[in-house]
Amino acid sequence: MGHPNPNPNPNPIVPIATGRRLIALWFPYWAGETTKIPHDKTQSFALIDHYKNAQRLVGLTPLAAQMGLSLGLSLADARALLPDLQTAMAEPMEAAARLQKCAYWLQRYTPWVGHNPSSDGQTGLADYGLLLDVSGCAHLFGGERALLADMQARFLNRGITAHAAMAGTVGAAWGLARFGVSAKTDPQARRQIIVPEGQEAEAVLPLPPAALRLSGGHIDLCQRLGLDTIGDLAGFARRELTRRFGPSPVLRLEQALGQAGESLNPCLPPPRFFVRHNLPHGVTQMEALAQLIGDLCARLATQLETSGHGAQRLDLSLTRSDNAVLALSLPLAHPSADGGHMARLFEERLSRLSRGVDAGYGIEHLALAASRTAPISGPQETMGAFEDAPNKTRGKRRAAPIAALGNLYDRLVSRLGAQVVVRPVPHASYIPERAVKLVPVLKADAADKKDPQSLSANLPDPATRPLFMLCAPEPIEVIAEIPEGAPYRFRWRRVLHEVSAAYGPERISPEWWAGLTGETPKHHNRQTRDYYRLEDTQGHRFWIYRDGLYSRETTRPRWFMHGVFP
Amino acid sequence: MEPKPAAPLKHTSKSQKLAKLRRLVARFEPGVAHGPHIQTGFADIDAYLRQQVVPAGLPCGGLHEVVATRVGDMPAALGFAHRLAVRFLDRPHTQDMLLYGQTHMACREAGQPYGPALPAHGLSADRLVYIDGARLPDLLWAGEEALLCSAIGCIVLSSWDEAPSFTASRRLSLAARAAERPLVMALGAQAGGSASAATTRWQVEALPQQGWHVRLAKLRMSYTATPPPEGWRLYPQSLSQNSAQNILQSQPRGQAASRTARAG
Repeated sequence: MGHPNPNPNPNPIVPIATGRRLIALWFPYWAGETTKIPHDKTQSFALIDHYKNAQRLVGLTPLAAQMGLSLGLSLADARALLPDLQTAMAEPMEAAARLQKCAYWLQRYTPWVGHNPSSDGQTGLADYGLLLDVSGCAHLFGGERALLADMQARFLNRGITAHAAMAGTVGAAWGLARFGVSAKTDPQARRQIIVPEGQEAEAVLPLPPAALRLSGGHIDLCQRLGLDTIGDLAGFARRELTRRFGPSPVLRLEQALGQAGESLNPCLPPPRFFVRHNLPHGVTQMEALAQLIGDLCARLATQLETSGHGAQRLDLSLTRSDNAVLALSLPLAHPSADGGHMARLFEERLSRLSRGVDAGYGIEHLALAASRTAPISGPQETMGAFEDAPNKTRGKRRAAPIAALGNLYDRLVSRLGAQVVVRPVPHASYIPERAVKLVPVLKADAADKKDPQSLSANLPDPATRPLFMLCAPEPIEVIAEIPEGAPYRFRWRRVLHEVSAAYGPERISPEWWAGLTGETPKHHNRQTRDYYRLEDTQGHRFWIYRDGLYSRETTRPRWFMHGVFP
Repeated sequence: MEPKPAAPLKHTSKSQKLAKLRRLVARFEPGVAHGPHIQTGFADIDAYLRQQVVPAGLPCGGLHEVVATRVGDMPAALGFAHRLAVRFLDRPHTQDMLLYGQTHMACREAGQPYGPALPAHGLSADRLVYIDGARLPDLLWAGEEALLCSAIGCIVLSSWDEAPSFTASRRLSLAARAAERPLVMALGAQAGGSASAATTRWQVEALPQQGWHVRLAKLRMSYTATPPPEGWRLYPQSLSQNSAQNILQSQPRGQAASRTARAG
């Protein structure tokens, strides 16, 4: 029975769509089912360990569970129940390593596979489960149900019991996998629970409070207070819950219902190219830190160079003595195995951090990994472009231009930002401002190859286009105009211009197909534009357009300045 | 009493002393007179440079400033800077890139270089790297970095209302000379006029009928030549639009009112 609720509905539960889809997998018999210790599969088998002052069962097979054994039972009690129980000492490290392997294998479904956030709150025993973020992955396997069925079929073939639940939040999926319908009653059943988006509340509220990933003390307290379901708990005002339990249950509740965010850290395979440095004493001085990072870069570069690889992305993590981690990641324009170049980029980057490096009581551990690499041909000339610094140009071989350019891009990007250093890439559109895209240099090579200039046959005459295009068309005030003609006088940026020559019009129709493909054209793209090239009496040259055709599209067309000619 | 024979320096005139000091200074300046140089492509300017200046052209290694005379002349100044940059890039056997950088203010006021128009001005769009807005110190830093990069053939930096300090321009100028690569600094009318160590400074003004009025306001290559104060009137070919007809001429102004009435 639920607790009599003093306030009928203090917090109405509003369904929140998180936009994520998560799968929680729970392996209730992981240690027993996957162990390599030889035993008779037809008989009950249990793993034991010394725990709470006794030899107790810490891993079971489904058969043993059916015979009435449970985790945490002492060995003496178990033998009393089942005299012919086979036992072996548990190997928690091996079981965890097997789970890690399983996590890598599950990356066939999604790249985002994370470990369970906690061990079992009630018993304190190891809890074997994994979390998968499958947002946007399910359709590749024929839908969510098919994905889960495929996954569970594969586990069944290996003889592993896996309980799976899919929901929009980590908390809901975790709780449902363990405490969902019939989890305890029918251990053999292959269950899959799928909660549609936004319906986490209905699914979670009937579950016992333990499904909220609470600690043992909190679960006991709930039992003593007669709070049998999460719904009972959710019925209280959050403020009262916090006063009685502390902040943790409220946070867990909100996470399960999608009202509070929760991140999932993916476990990634260890990088192939990795160096680190442990220091006996923390380092606080920036100069020393820069020196250490330089050493790491040089060591990583040696690793990369001997295997013929270049780093495309570097991850540096600095661990302070109080275990705070400062992580920096650095994309490179071209694969590089040049330690000096990497060190210079990090130096630049560290000096540009808005608050600087807070070394606290000192940085004790430095780790540098090349998380993305690509094969490079031949050893690079060390120091690349920077070798031809002043007074060294003559008589020295120059670095290959592409590497030199890549190094320059890296330097510029690390100081100015990736979105600022760009290259123009043609784009198939007749709308002038969309005919070219400014693509960050780090991505421009890919964009070059992707767009095969489908409009190249009818490109406009370059001489009719302004050398400088304003970031956005600016409205101008046309003072004397003739309908369907160029203006005689107009005001732009509060300066009056008397037109002495006009060329045009060049009519550009809106892209009628833009609305069909799902992208909504911006307002000023919906009307036909008549472009004119103007020159005023001072000799300044402009590119202006009238937005909309007279009488057909609008009665009071507006004029815009779009670019200037030199 | 006869005057004691003084040191030779004292007898020489002021101009001779200056010339001597200049020769002395020239010895410390990295080679302006010997490095690669280009012709601007404008016959009048080239003729002047050939006759008056030692390298007989515009030196590649140097800082060249292009300043707009009036606020509205920035496009013309940028056009002239672009023209110089294209000539610098046009050396044989190079596929070097043009780095074009602007301050935030210049981006907003003068606009961004427009890819589809570049071929008309002698540059293919894939040879352009563009810095889309930065603070002036960052931009100057980027310019110095790019001077050290062998794949960048020319650098154009543009600032609307702020000019680099003398120290900064001196630093860039020395870097450009040492690297033998040009750096063109385009400055808006509000930014110009401050002291700088640029090799040349060009004052550009737009002229009717698609022309530019260009005045060489400063020339640091030669200590004897003085550029003509009246400047040059230039009508670059690439800007002329001969095929198009001025539609205003075909529509006399008197008819404007009547046509408006008819349309209304």
